[in-house]
Amino acid sequence: MDFGSFLTSPEIKVKIITCRDIFQEKAMIENHFGEDYINHSAVIKLDPADLKQLNVKKGDTVIVKNSFGRIVVKAEESGYETPHRGIAFMPKSPWPNMLVSDETGGMGVPRFKDISANVTSAKGEKITEMESLF
Amino acid sequence: MENNYHVCTGCALLCDDIEVGSEKNKINKVFTACRIGMAHMKEGKGEAIFRVDNKSVDEATAINEAVTILRNAKKPLIFGLGASTSETQKIAIKLAKKINATLDDNSSFCLGGVVETLIKNEMKTCTLDDVRNKADVIIYWGTDPSDSHPRLLSKYSYFPRGKEKQRGWEEERTAIAVDVRKSHTAKISGNYFFQIPPKGDEEFIDAVIAGLSGKLPKTSYNYPPKKLLELANILKGAKFGVIFVGCGLIYSLESLESLSRLMKVLNEKANIHLMAMVGNYNSMGFNENLFAETGYLNSVKFENGIVKHGPEYSIVESLKAKTVDAALIVDSDPFSILPRSIVKNLQEIPVVSIDPYETLTSRHSKVYINTAISGVEAGGTATRMDRVKVSFEPVIEANRPSDEAILKKIMEAL
Amino acid sequence: MTNAMELYQMLPKTNCKKCGKASCMAFAVVLMARELKPEDCPPLVEEPKYKENYEKISNIFKPSENATETGLIVHEDLCFGCGNCVVACPPNVANDPHGVGSGNAPTNPNKLVLTVQDGIVKAQNLGECRRFGKNKILCNGCIVTCPVEAIEFV
Repeated sequence: MDFGSFLTSPEIKVKIITCRDIFQEKAMIENHFGEDYINHSAVIKLDPADLKQLNVKKGDTVIVKNSFGRIVVKAEESGYETPHRGIAFMPKSPWPNMLVSDETGGMGVPRFKDISANVTSAKGEKITEMESLF
Repeated sequence: MENNYHVCTGCALLCDDIEVGSEKNKINKVFTACRIGMAHMKEGKGEAIFRVDNKSVDEATAINEAVTILRNAKKPLIFGLGASTSETQKIAIKLAKKINATLDDNSSFCLGGVVETLIKNEMKTCTLDDVRNKADVIIYWGTDPSDSHPRLLSKYSYFPRGKEKQRGWEEERTAIAVDVRKSHTAKISGNYFFQIPPKGDEEFIDAVIAGLSGKLPKTSYNYPPKKLLELANILKGAKFGVIFVGCGLIYSLESLESLSRLMKVLNEKANIHLMAMVGNYNSMGFNENLFAETGYLNSVKFENGIVKHGPEYSIVESLKAKTVDAALIVDSDPFSILPRSIVKNLQEIPVVSIDPYETLTSRHSKVYINTAISGVEAGGTATRMDRVKVSFEPVIEANRPSDEAILKKIMEAL
Repeated sequence: MTNAMELYQMLPKTNCKKCGKASCMAFAVVLMARELKPEDCPPLVEEPKYKENYEKISNIFKPSENATETGLIVHEDLCFGCGNCVVACPPNVANDPHGVGSGNAPTNPNKLVLTVQDGIVKAQNLGECRRFGKNKILCNGCIVTCPVEAIEFV
């Protein structure tokens, strides 16, 4: 029996910054619904120390949520040598867009690069399917 | 291998030196283009698809349905067009006038503000060819062209020999990256990568200005003053500098005031130009075409010959406030690129999507018309990110209509 | 593999020119190419504050002194065809100054070491590469300009 599943998983707060990824863009051109595009999009890149605190290995799925939405995506190490605990990166895609606030101050510009969310282990839950985003 | 060059419409660099090989009207080999360009060029193969309520129909039925939707709409929205030819954009502007539509493109939530200062000649700019021929100091600020405009460094801004830059990048050019993360571009900039915290750009600008004025540059995040002074000195010595500005910088600023202040101070001491890293291949063209017609770059509403303008007419605010009751989306995928909290309102109104690609938007549209990829299956003209006009011919024969042809038909039927 | 930028980081960065080069970066480049040795930088050897970096740099060059013929490998899964290496490659520039040397499509493909095909860099005409032949030098123009470490010499 996996007693771990009864324990509350550690949760961290992150600021998500969306950014570009050429391999994701190429995959999108080839097929907006293809596996390659999903694999390059439903990803959150974290500081290794944050992964450790979450008790999550790279490649595992995590739940990322806030009051606007909840997504399950794959956790990866960012690979950046400068520590950036509490800051996470996601390629811009429908997945992070699930979490972007509708608060724009009336200026028409959503905060794509300033998303506050909580992250916990998804304990094996599968990546949120694109069909279920809308 | 054909011996003539084609234009790649994969991004706003509009690389004009692409050679292709093709067989049976399908491109199977692409030379010199990056991965994005390669994928883009090879996508030209589609058969025409017309759908209403996700059921296949013929062209006339799809156009009729689109016309009905637009005719019945009291407050239609036309959005997209950054990846359309200028010819298509001009028809869309006419159409918006005719049906009293709100008209907007991506630039309203990306780099529209900066582009406006460039189109209005409020900030000094130059062409990419100037950059290649002359630039000695190149700054990538809040942008990662390696991923978004992959050949910017190799074709224009850092590595190529130019008329006045014959000795090579190591000796004659300095590439600088300012970013919150060590992007692929930041990596190339090596020791001249200035990593700042998120939302740290405004202070960084002020610190650079202080450094330029001989004051001690201070930031609340204790950026080493020595490095800041080093940056200020490089900038001061620039004979032909250029700052490539991306959304990373713009989203982090409260307004463009600090950026224009920086440009002013810099140009008192050196020669620095600004360029916006617009993404879609003809986003600049849309802004120019709409500006020529209305005096505004985006976010307009036509009302019986009068043009209204303001953020309330941007796609984001229009959808949020539900002030539009139907949408015609051309060559764009708002369902993917906008926050769900906002774009979900598009699900409540009838949507007509015209796009070479099947997207989340096309799947949520009442009418979907699959069109030729401009630059691959259809010709036209576009404006490069540096405002240079580029025209292109189709590379292969199209099996599907161009968006220009479809818009013309919709226009005529209305 | 070390690149010139990493070497540069360990140098005094004072551009004192005592090595005979115009700048520490230029020294790093020739150091990387094995044209000069770490000892050719007097401050690095003489000044105690650089002792640690001097040792580090010396260690980098020790094991590779016996390196024999090198082979160029492109990691195609990493490369995204930006073409930086194509434009920066010295023999490419020399053999096609107005084509690839100026950032454009190749005009002299039979003499080029690197070109981009289908979005990925292809190595060819390796006889032209500075790392081959009897006058070879350990040029690293394609390595230091690659954003993704897609090129390697083994």
